[in-house]
Amino acid sequence: MTLTSEHIEYIIKDLNYRGIVVEGIQEELIDHICSAVEEEMTKEKRFIDAYRHVLESFGHTAGLRETQKQVIQSENKKPKDMFKNYFTVAIRNLRKHSFYSFINVAGLSIGVAICFIIVLFVINELSYDKHFVYADRIYRIKSDIKFGGNQYKMLYAPPVMANTLATEYPEVEAAIRFRERGSYLVKRSMDNIKEDKVIWTDKDFFKLFSIPVLAGNAETALAEPNSIAISEAIAHKYFPNENALGQTLILDNDMNMKITAVYKTLPANTHFHFDILISLEGLDEAKRPVWYSSNFQTYLLLRPGTDAKQLENKFPELVVKRAMPQLAEVLGADFTIEKFVAAGNKMEFTLQPLSDIHLKSSLQGEFEPNFDIAYIYLFVAVALFILIIACINFMNLSTARSANRAKEVGIRKVMGSFRSHLMRQFLTESILLSLISVVLAVLTAYLLLPLFNQLSDRTLAIPFEQPMLYGIITLAALAVGLLAGIYPSFFLSAFKPVSVLKGNVAMGMKSGFIRSSLVVFQFTVSIFLVIGTLAVNRQLNYIQTKKLGFNKDQVIVIEDTYALGTNRMPFKDEIMRSGKMENATITGFLPVSGTWRSDNPWWVEGRDPGVQENMVSLQNWRVDYDYIKTMGMNIMAGRDFSLDFPSDSSAVIVNEAALKRFNFPGEVIGSKIATFGDGENGEPDRNNLITLTVVGVVENFNFESLKQNVSPLMIELSKKPEGPISFRFQSQNTQEVIQLVEAKWKEMAPGQPFTYYFLDERFGTMYAAETRLGKIFGIFSLLAVLIACLGLFALTSFTAEQRTKEIGIRKVLGASVSSIVVLLSKEFGKLVLIAFVLAAPLAWYGIEWWLKDYTYKTEIGIGLFLMAGIAAFLIAWITMSFQSFKAASSDPVKSLRSE
Amino acid sequence: MHSPELLKGTLQTILLKVLKDHGKMYGYEITQRVKELSDGRILLTEGALYPSLHKLEADGHLKTETVMMGKRVRKYYSLTTEGKSQVKERVTEFVEFIRTMGNVLQVEISRQ
Repeated sequence: MTLTSEHIEYIIKDLNYRGIVVEGIQEELIDHICSAVEEEMTKEKRFIDAYRHVLESFGHTAGLRETQKQVIQSENKKPKDMFKNYFTVAIRNLRKHSFYSFINVAGLSIGVAICFIIVLFVINELSYDKHFVYADRIYRIKSDIKFGGNQYKMLYAPPVMANTLATEYPEVEAAIRFRERGSYLVKRSMDNIKEDKVIWTDKDFFKLFSIPVLAGNAETALAEPNSIAISEAIAHKYFPNENALGQTLILDNDMNMKITAVYKTLPANTHFHFDILISLEGLDEAKRPVWYSSNFQTYLLLRPGTDAKQLENKFPELVVKRAMPQLAEVLGADFTIEKFVAAGNKMEFTLQPLSDIHLKSSLQGEFEPNFDIAYIYLFVAVALFILIIACINFMNLSTARSANRAKEVGIRKVMGSFRSHLMRQFLTESILLSLISVVLAVLTAYLLLPLFNQLSDRTLAIPFEQPMLYGIITLAALAVGLLAGIYPSFFLSAFKPVSVLKGNVAMGMKSGFIRSSLVVFQFTVSIFLVIGTLAVNRQLNYIQTKKLGFNKDQVIVIEDTYALGTNRMPFKDEIMRSGKMENATITGFLPVSGTWRSDNPWWVEGRDPGVQENMVSLQNWRVDYDYIKTMGMNIMAGRDFSLDFPSDSSAVIVNEAALKRFNFPGEVIGSKIATFGDGENGEPDRNNLITLTVVGVVENFNFESLKQNVSPLMIELSKKPEGPISFRFQSQNTQEVIQLVEAKWKEMAPGQPFTYYFLDERFGTMYAAETRLGKIFGIFSLLAVLIACLGLFALTSFTAEQRTKEIGIRKVLGASVSSIVVLLSKEFGKLVLIAFVLAAPLAWYGIEWWLKDYTYKTEIGIGLFLMAGIAAFLIAWITMSFQSFKAASSDPVKSLRSE
Repeated sequence: MHSPELLKGTLQTILLKVLKDHGKMYGYEITQRVKELSDGRILLTEGALYPSLHKLEADGHLKTETVMMGKRVRKYYSLTTEGKSQVKERVTEFVEFIRTMGNVLQVEISRQ
């Protein structure tokens, strides 16, 4: 039986009344119920009874509604839709508040870009030397020698040490030595080219360092004297499109070297980058069986499973057995180990793992300047701080603007949102934002890398081809999004719908304790960095302007003068004749690091050289008559060397430090000092006593980095002046000076490379690390301040927006523009002040830590702190006043008319 | 009559199989058909039927077509290709289940 349309009408209305309204379900249920009612009515029931019966089977209104709800839920269980919704809402919100989104994205992407670059840098620094197959079994010898009042912590070991260890100690699989002898002039046949990265080494080099050999036999290469191995780069340079193996290169015009191997050029992340290896077989010095002279950097390859500490513990015995008898022979019969130790002397060897070299080693004898692990920590900390500052901007802006979103939260909650839904919504927004920022950050990092590479002297690149990178980027975006979004999402989702919709939620700006502390944190970090930058720069400035005891300006040094051969003196005289130069001197002993050094023990004549305290170990510099004049050093007592005194060939000038150590008994000028001269084999000969007479005392001058004290030094006349020629010039036009010297060089040393440097430049390179640090720190602090100010800018503009009405009323009542600006900036001004108070002691501590390495350091007075504080305050104030001023000067009519 | 608790996990299987054997059907028709097949021992409640139908539709196993019948609108369900391939799988799975249950409960399940 079919229902009439009245019945159907009734059912439709009734179900509607019972709340079955959802499209798609309503019709279906109506049809179902109709069918069921029809079925019931076949059992001779009245329509209304049949309908009641059917409804009962559904569970009446409650059952109907439950069915409807379950149908909706069964359809809605797709997380895709949920995320789509979150995503759409997030996009809309970000677009609606594009100004705040911009500030957030800008800050975050700069922060993340910095982090990204630093991470690349740190990964690069940590990868040093890890590419060698036996990296974890390679060690090098560290010497700690104290003698005659001087201490040497260095990497030079005695020539016999490597061989002794390799043959007598089973733990040592192989041992090799390096010997640096400066740069070489290299030629195939015609023109010389200067090569810096040349080293003498043993034949096991390839066994130890497992560098791929492209041509030649790694095992037999370097086994013979006069054989060399060259890098691929050098092979290409001298033998383009040719096979270099077996060919000959001429070093320094007179050494014919046969190429026995071509090896793969060393990767950038290696602590040395030698391009030419010369066989040590050809060096007599390397064959001397002596323990008292150390010139060889020595590397060991230990057998697998060897404990380096245990091997190290055997070294003292080695010293007693081998080194001490030799010392006794040299120093005299009454030498005993007890006396040697009692006088405060020592000779110790330790092992340094290969992995420690790049980050933890800065000793005499490093092949290249290494990095310092402390700076790695510092960089990472700074990068993290900048990232946190950027995240704080996000947190502050989100919570500050919470008032605007309070209604949204209220309505969502009333509609049935759980707190977790809202948190997810807010987290989606922050993650979306951080995703955009991270993508922009990678682009920023890509653009900034060349600059950073230049500053840090590295060749970093973003590894776009590695899939890992994209995973990390995504992870980073999620992490940053969570970091920045977790607090706002907790804060915003906690609103109570009733109070929010009634309109009495705490306004964003008022619940500000956490926000204020975050702003304080941002500015504490920024001010700390600013003070740090100022301090580093002040120290650099101090170094550049400090009275050094010599004049580093206006001196040009011509290198590789051995290429002139016998023309050295004529060359110097010819140039002096031009009248452009004031003075000239021929010597390799120059007061900047990296030039020649030599030291020997001397004593005051008449004292007993057997008594260790009498021995003064000091620098022996051999120069010519014009040295002190050319370098602009000051004679404090006595006189300079002079041609008028033929006896000056046995005269000596000492510096103040040496004067103190010698502690002459009587008149200094005319006193005599003595040492043993060399015997036939180069070892000190006790029968060959040399004495010199002190004719002058030179004011202390810094000849090494200002990190070190001026050590004792003596200057004597060289019998045969050699080494670079230094000219002091008057002209301000350096170009003219270079041209003059170069023209003469080409004339007198045709085909030889002309190389020169200015003394002040070379002096500057001693502080390259500091200069770099100053620049990098400067950039960091600039960015930190920039990001913090971006946040402050947005916060003030928000406050101003919130207080438009208040400002309008104040103006109507007669407030001046300036009083309103003060009103608006007062709050944050206070925070910056607190930040300064917190940052100052921290910065002071940090600067003290950094400066402790310097013997000569600048005064860090209170002025520097005040300067940084005032600068930070001014920048913050300008940032704020821009917005405050805009708000304060707007027409009150406009702001008050809106209602 | 079987307890609805027992039916819970098999409801989708029933729906798919019935729709496979009979082509397109509407909700009420399905309940009646199941009742008939089970000699009245399985009564599908509307509260369980419709959520399951909608879920199967949302998952793409069922498709629907609506037919206007005067004031009433009837919604027919039928299997999609994907749904068809599901049926055999689900039925086999269920038979396996019964067999396992037989072993677990130590009873003989007669096969007819």
